[in-house]
Amino acid sequence: MTRTVHLSLEINGKTRELDVEPRVTLLDALREHLELTGTKKGCDQGQCGACTVHVDGKRVLSCLTLAAQVEGRQIATIEGLAAENGDLHPVQAAFLEHDAFQCGYCTPGQIMSAVACIREGHAGSDEEIREYMAGNLCRCGAYNSIVAAVREAAEAA
Amino acid sequence: MTIMETRTKQGDASDGALGGRFSRLDGKLKITGGATYALEHPVEGLAYAVLVQSTIAAGRVVKVDTTKAEAAPGTLLVVTPETDLELKVASDWYGNRPDDQPYHPLPREVAFNGQAIAAVIAETLEQATEAARLVEVTYEETTAVASMDSPNAGEGKLVDQFNIAWGDAEEALAASPLRIEAEYSTPREYHVPIEPHGLTARWDGDRLTIWEPSQWTHGMARSYAELFGLPDENVRLLSPFIGGGFGSKAAVYAYGAVAAAVARRLGRPVKLAVTRPQNFTSYGGRAATRQTLELGANSDGILQAIVHRGASETSTYADFPEQTSAATPLMYAVPNFSSEHRLVPANTVMPGALRAPGKNPSAFGLECAMDELAYAAGVDPVEIRLRNYAEHDPQSGKPWSTRQMREALAAGSEAFGWAKRSFEPRSMRDGRQLIGWGVGCGTFPVLRAASEAMIRLLSDGTVEVVSGAIDMGQGTYTILAQTAAEALGVPVGQIDVRLGDSSLPGATVAGGSMLAGAITGAVHKAATAAREELIGLALNDANSPFRDTGANTLTVTDGRIAVPRGDGPSLTVAELMSATGRDLIETRRNTLPEADQGPEGHKRAWTTMTAIQGPTAGDYSMYSWCAHFVEVRVDEDFGTIRVSRIVSAFDCGRIYNPKLAESQWRGGIIMGIGQALLEEGLVDGRNGRVINNNLGDYLVATNADVPHIEVISVGIPDLNASVLGGKGVGEVGIVGVAPAIANAVFHATGKRVRDLPITLDKLI
Repeated sequence: MTRTVHLSLEINGKTRELDVEPRVTLLDALREHLELTGTKKGCDQGQCGACTVHVDGKRVLSCLTLAAQVEGRQIATIEGLAAENGDLHPVQAAFLEHDAFQCGYCTPGQIMSAVACIREGHAGSDEEIREYMAGNLCRCGAYNSIVAAVREAAEAA
Repeated sequence: MTIMETRTKQGDASDGALGGRFSRLDGKLKITGGATYALEHPVEGLAYAVLVQSTIAAGRVVKVDTTKAEAAPGTLLVVTPETDLELKVASDWYGNRPDDQPYHPLPREVAFNGQAIAAVIAETLEQATEAARLVEVTYEETTAVASMDSPNAGEGKLVDQFNIAWGDAEEALAASPLRIEAEYSTPREYHVPIEPHGLTARWDGDRLTIWEPSQWTHGMARSYAELFGLPDENVRLLSPFIGGGFGSKAAVYAYGAVAAAVARRLGRPVKLAVTRPQNFTSYGGRAATRQTLELGANSDGILQAIVHRGASETSTYADFPEQTSAATPLMYAVPNFSSEHRLVPANTVMPGALRAPGKNPSAFGLECAMDELAYAAGVDPVEIRLRNYAEHDPQSGKPWSTRQMREALAAGSEAFGWAKRSFEPRSMRDGRQLIGWGVGCGTFPVLRAASEAMIRLLSDGTVEVVSGAIDMGQGTYTILAQTAAEALGVPVGQIDVRLGDSSLPGATVAGGSMLAGAITGAVHKAATAAREELIGLALNDANSPFRDTGANTLTVTDGRIAVPRGDGPSLTVAELMSATGRDLIETRRNTLPEADQGPEGHKRAWTTMTAIQGPTAGDYSMYSWCAHFVEVRVDEDFGTIRVSRIVSAFDCGRIYNPKLAESQWRGGIIMGIGQALLEEGLVDGRNGRVINNNLGDYLVATNADVPHIEVISVGIPDLNASVLGGKGVGEVGIVGVAPAIANAVFHATGKRVRDLPITLDKLI
């Protein structure tokens, strides 16, 4: 059998232990080993943004990140975004209200990107939101509503 | 006997639940990561399969050396053209099936570059991926036709069923004082749903469960059953959420057969995720097309003749026509018409249905040509469309059921400010940016199909709507809750909807914009029956408080049952169920005619496309319509093109949920922006390989490419089109967008670009 490494990952404030091959990406670790399937695989090549998670608060493409690289870092995924009591994060609520998705597959990546985009101070205008959200592809074409949702959440922040 | 009151439909939000701007019922699951897509369903003991694809375009697999792959850590099985997977050819979409013909999803004969020819199954995804790289294939290569544009492609074969003619088009064209002739072409285009294709297959004895994104659970379950010679009921296909389909997820493809077959062979569940690059050749996108249009008109721009010759690329082993004449004979009144369509085989995966198949490239040609005619006649491009308005369907001769095309042009013009447009090309600018305004129209047929649905009223007052239909983002969950709420008289919030499971009541394909019309009809019927049963229970049950009221009917409003005249008891559904000791009221109804009831009729309706009725099957010709108004800004020095403004007006009949319909329209328009400016499958002429088989090189529109898009509904309820008055919403949005952009680019620059996509190299 292939050699495995033992990893201890801090995900959404909880410690998760797993044994995986060193070449396992953070994305596959989440989806195939930890049953955290909210993070999506759209291309596995860093081109679509569906796998966006936060590592130490910054948006990162989990398909281009090895799980072994992020030991000791704070990982946040879509599953950890809402409050413990189930209250939606303002970006989530705005996505629902503005119908900022259709099929929903790019949505967790869009939302994680949007949260970071606002935090980065890159949600000052529609033009700026379009540019800083351009790394997250949406084939259903919900871009107008995504911009409206990010703008509303940014204004409320 | 219960007398049902008649409920009058206004066709708008004043009707109550249906027509309201409700947020998505499935929305919360999607924004929290709680929606479980096919490959995410947890299955114990999974093995992982990875495909190996051919690297030549045509020839024969002579040898597959699996030694290294089999020796790699974790490898469980390698299957090749040598392996008999013991499969039989399944029916096509129309239920046609050769008798007892073996099926080899990993064939020895290679028909295109990127065809699956082997697969490796291993303990982990990483091991299978690595071992797949170690499979060594020896080919005997033969001459390939890389694409329909290759010198050796030939002119193709005429498709008789697409010969359309009336009058004497050639003679009328020759006699016309105004004539234009132009050739238009579109490249290979791909669906690119953000969820790649794939499946998990699990066997329990001779029962097969498939988790696979599906636009048609019943149709695909039948295919799997036939591949393995199983009774239909032994296969269950689950697809509660689909990460985009656009036409690509309505069929079982070779990789699906491979995954299910190796799962059986290994005796353990197998997950096969088609990689993003593999998606470009594991199923077909929109075929490349080219078409020549000759329009003849009098000097006022009134059409006298259309002569149309089109062609689309197909594969060498099966045909899929991308009909370039799908919209040409419908849009405008023309007394003389002639159209032909050819199929040009090339070594490609068989093309498939991509959002508005046929209608889309067809409208690209015609709507550009009409703009060219407008300029030849010196007539405003909106005006030329009104002058040639078709008062009835020119092809079938039948009256339109509803056609709000004038209203769409008027509403779109008004909102866009079209009246301020100056006619001459290159006459509007903003500094170094040339500004162009263009218009393009679109259509998509109303296809009608039957479906079945079940309504369950539970003792706690909850209502379940149950169907095998699917929701890939169109909003099926939501509009079915609205439909049931409306018919039953209970709040939308009290309704649960279960979809995406082939073991549930049958539904037609979510394609051709026909599912909403079909399944809302079935839900309406089942919910109306459930309401009738509920009222019957209230009036007749010995323990019902309504029994002695003397009422001969009751109302159900906001979830409360009451006497129409307002006095007497008023109970919630749950209270009545409790009072009468009922656990469940369950009704199951379908919209098939009496003659088609029974197992055979049901199977035909739910698993084939033979029972679908076309747009002119009845007394009327029925279509959705739209008009797009586009502003582009073209950099005078660099030729870069930006779409800066779009207004589109739609006639899709009654809209069940404007919030969701507007999202679908915008989605179609945005796909149209990509088609016009970005999307192009590039083929290597040397080996037939799709070069840009990834999302960094096959460009789709990003957020930064898309301006605010204003969408307007001008539809009116069309009760010939569907039970509740809607026409198709999903496909029509893309039709006419690319020509509107091309026409705007002409207006900005004075240059006609007739081959998509319109890239800057074509402008400078």
